[in-house]
Amino acid sequence: MSPSSWAPPIDDVGLVPFGKGFERGLDSRSLCTRGVQLETLAGLGLPVGAGLTIPVPNVPGFTSPDRAKAAMNLLEGIAGRAISSTTESGGLVLLRLSASAPVEAAGLPPDLVCLGLKRSVIPEGLGAQARADLAAAWWKSAAFIAEHALGVPSDELGSLDIDYPDALERLEPFRRLCEEQGSAPFPTKRSQQVAAGAKAMIERWNSPRAARARKKQNLPADLPLALHLETVVVTEHDDEGHGYATSRNMETGGFEPNGSFRHGFRLSGERQMSGHPLDRLPGGVEMLTGVLAELEGRLRSAITVDFEYGPDGLVLVGLEELRRPNARVATSLAVDLVIRGITGEADAVASTDPVHVVELLHPQPKLTGNEVTLATGLGASPGAAVGHLALDSETAVEMAEAGRPVILVMSETTPGDLPGMMAAAGILTANGGSASHAAVVARGMGRPAICGATSLRLDAEARTLASGEHVLAEGDLISIDGATGVAYVGELAIERPSASPSLTTLLGWADDARRLGIRANADNGADASAAVDNGAEGIGLCRTEHMFLGDRLPFVRAVILSHDGDAEEKALAALADAQREDFRELLRAMGDKPVTVRLLDAPMHEFLPSSADELQDEHQARMLEHLHEENPMLGVRGVRLALIHEGLYPAQVEGLFNAWVDVVQADEARPQLEIMIPLVSIPDELVMALRLIRRVNQEVASRTGLVIPFSIGTMVETPRAALMADRLAQWAEFLSFGTNDLTQLTYGFSRDDVERRMLGTYLEKGLLTASPFAELDPDGVGALMEVAVAKARSVRPDIKLGICGEHGGDPRSIEVCERIGLDYVSASPSRIPVARLAAAHARAGVAS
Amino acid sequence: MSDVTLTEEQREALVSLVVRGMARGEATAVQQSLADAGLILVKGPVLMPTPAGTEFVGGLLRLPDDAPERERIMATFHRFLPVNRQLRDLCTAWQVRPDGSVNDHSDENYDADIRDRLDDIDDAVGPLLKRFTEDIPAMGGYRARLTEALEKLDDGDDAWLASPLIDSYHTVWMHLHQQLLLTIGMSRKEDEELEERLVAGAAE
Repeated sequence: MSPSSWAPPIDDVGLVPFGKGFERGLDSRSLCTRGVQLETLAGLGLPVGAGLTIPVPNVPGFTSPDRAKAAMNLLEGIAGRAISSTTESGGLVLLRLSASAPVEAAGLPPDLVCLGLKRSVIPEGLGAQARADLAAAWWKSAAFIAEHALGVPSDELGSLDIDYPDALERLEPFRRLCEEQGSAPFPTKRSQQVAAGAKAMIERWNSPRAARARKKQNLPADLPLALHLETVVVTEHDDEGHGYATSRNMETGGFEPNGSFRHGFRLSGERQMSGHPLDRLPGGVEMLTGVLAELEGRLRSAITVDFEYGPDGLVLVGLEELRRPNARVATSLAVDLVIRGITGEADAVASTDPVHVVELLHPQPKLTGNEVTLATGLGASPGAAVGHLALDSETAVEMAEAGRPVILVMSETTPGDLPGMMAAAGILTANGGSASHAAVVARGMGRPAICGATSLRLDAEARTLASGEHVLAEGDLISIDGATGVAYVGELAIERPSASPSLTTLLGWADDARRLGIRANADNGADASAAVDNGAEGIGLCRTEHMFLGDRLPFVRAVILSHDGDAEEKALAALADAQREDFRELLRAMGDKPVTVRLLDAPMHEFLPSSADELQDEHQARMLEHLHEENPMLGVRGVRLALIHEGLYPAQVEGLFNAWVDVVQADEARPQLEIMIPLVSIPDELVMALRLIRRVNQEVASRTGLVIPFSIGTMVETPRAALMADRLAQWAEFLSFGTNDLTQLTYGFSRDDVERRMLGTYLEKGLLTASPFAELDPDGVGALMEVAVAKARSVRPDIKLGICGEHGGDPRSIEVCERIGLDYVSASPSRIPVARLAAAHARAGVAS
Repeated sequence: MSDVTLTEEQREALVSLVVRGMARGEATAVQQSLADAGLILVKGPVLMPTPAGTEFVGGLLRLPDDAPERERIMATFHRFLPVNRQLRDLCTAWQVRPDGSVNDHSDENYDADIRDRLDDIDDAVGPLLKRFTEDIPAMGGYRARLTEALEKLDDGDDAWLASPLIDSYHTVWMHLHQQLLLTIGMSRKEDEELEERLVAGAAE
């Protein structure tokens, strides 16, 4: 029967052909997600597959064969083809029944493909592959109907599948099984099959399994279903097939349609990812490229479409908006939409999740072009690692025990290699794919891994690893990149990548939109350079504790434990010289930007010997006993240590001022020095420290002939300091909230103890929704800060106010900082991009 | 090493360790006796089988080539491998989203879909486990262990799907797979190649 002899479609009111729903005033509530997808595609004038939706209100009645028959008649009219007929190319026309809900939902019943099959309608000329696919698809549908519409036990159906691998031989026992254990024989008429399929889908949607899925998504228990009936052409003709196309390259994020296609028909509702690349698609990819660009612009989202192609061209059969694209895609799309004039810069900033940006800055090997590739495999677990080669699990454990980082290299891994995998910093295997057990385990342990590097040859006797021309011995250093799947000979530097062009553009827009300044916590030149590269406008916190450790520890101990004035003075001079070097490197990296240096804050016990072996004499032993503290974190710490050892802070600022003179005289930089006093709770502590600093400033100035400008400020880490911010502001030109200590002292929490012992319970019982050390507490700590801000500004309206704890890089905490009117946040160098974006979001939130 | 005589209790402990690959914690008396016999290595808090221990268990579990049940077991194993692939793909999707980003489990729809698909895999492996157990009674415990992992997963702890450090669904499955390989005497490499052929639909 030729298509032209068919009467015009019978447009039943309860059945909605794809593309006719919106014009009838229907929406997602009755058409559900799949119906809306097809409406969207058809509404843009794009070709869509032949099909119709049974809207939500009509689904219960669709279990009647009469209703199914009416739908089939309508569908035959839409498709211009009879069900069970043979196409011009020798394919067989059958039915596909699928279901969707008003919102994206997991737990939907599977598509039932190849309904309407009778052995008598299979065309003689149908090839072996199409027959095999047809048998597999039909069995899945039939078994589903038998289980859910006829109540046949699933175990029995599973056994049948195992006992009769040949689908044709399975037919008769299947028929008998349905008769014996089902509520009715398996339906033979086409309309009965469709109606039974609908019943099976409804039953499955009402099953405990689907109910669990809805509950897991917090969806209503009575969420309804719509059904969709389409034609499917069983074929293996070279010119007929199906595939999918995604608008974005997931690696780079750029607009670059990609996907795959296969000959034959879609066996299930699940997208088949493997196939031929799109550039080999009959008819080319121009149309798909245009479709994807159009859809991205309309839906403002990265897009995947499913399509079918045949002699009449290409039709779209599915549309998916990528709800949670990766960060590369998200940033690239946001920028592209602005460039196309579809959205504005503010939309682009608002649409990018600050936390997401962290993903873009994961450490990876630094490539210079000179590195030597050892082997390439599949990136199975992201991350980079450098280590010594170990060729079996036991060796890996031994090397790790000896304190050496290890890369475990094996042909393939078995459960017996678990100890080695745990001990290793990274894993490299010659066999296995990115879904191998080894890859699953590596990801579960958070270890970078490459699998399937097939060029690797392991020699267990000679203890060597060969790949191409390279032969390495066990113990040699190698580097792996678990994201790209490339292993390198030797040790590569691991560092965070710089921002992509899209991210750079987006962060530039964020900078235009934010009010808060963004500074970095950086203690050395390398961190300071990284911070500036990431867009930091200054250093908000340079900790000086590390300058007192390592080979400088003896000097500090001499200061604290000494009873000899000369020795103490010499030690202080040595400390001042050493710090001059440290500060010089840091200041050089910062140009003319502000640099806040916090003077020594660590508790005294960190510098004291932990065992008697380290003591030099009996006096030191007596001193050590005398200096013992019950609670060092609240003992002789911060400014208190400087009050007892009056030479400490002068030695530090002498190093700092000298370093400033060095870089200014060398014309390398002219940073704005800000000196910050830690753990102040009595305003006079600040005054005394200021007096010491001014004295040294004048000494260095008169010695060098240079005026060294600096400002003085204090940390606000204790509730008392917050409540006395007005008194502090009489002397301090800036205040920086140290919210880690402020949180500890406001809650009365010892961070380590509470995070280890109590936090789980708090979260479980709903007393806290997040750790207050990760997310600034707006109600308590935030309220104290608000008081401090108001008091400080009442005395000194232009006082600079910032925050320098870990909270400075946390988007929710940044919202609090914006709301209470701080001037800047200071975050770790790697969190600077997050903070820039979060500050723009926070500003937009406050403004709205 | 195959002439070593072990008690039933020692054999069970050694088989369990070889199938699991390792154990953590202090060695039990039985494990210590196996360590004394050179079959187990105690490395700090980690116990692992020595090559001799692994070989011993291989000899213990391996089915003779002419065993009458071998053909049936191999037929069932051929049905197992495609399901094994599905499980590994599912665990991969649980850890890594299709766009390559790490699954942070904040997308309830995505996670619920994976959990839902796990039921298909669990349904498919049920009849296979029943067959295996008919021929290899020692495989009898896996059904209960898989169900236990599922129940813990459904109690709300995501780790019970694929965490390698607990008896998660994937961990138990990996043990099951390992025990099958030891029983039929197949190497990992042969196993991977066979699975590839079966999934591609080329093998009988």
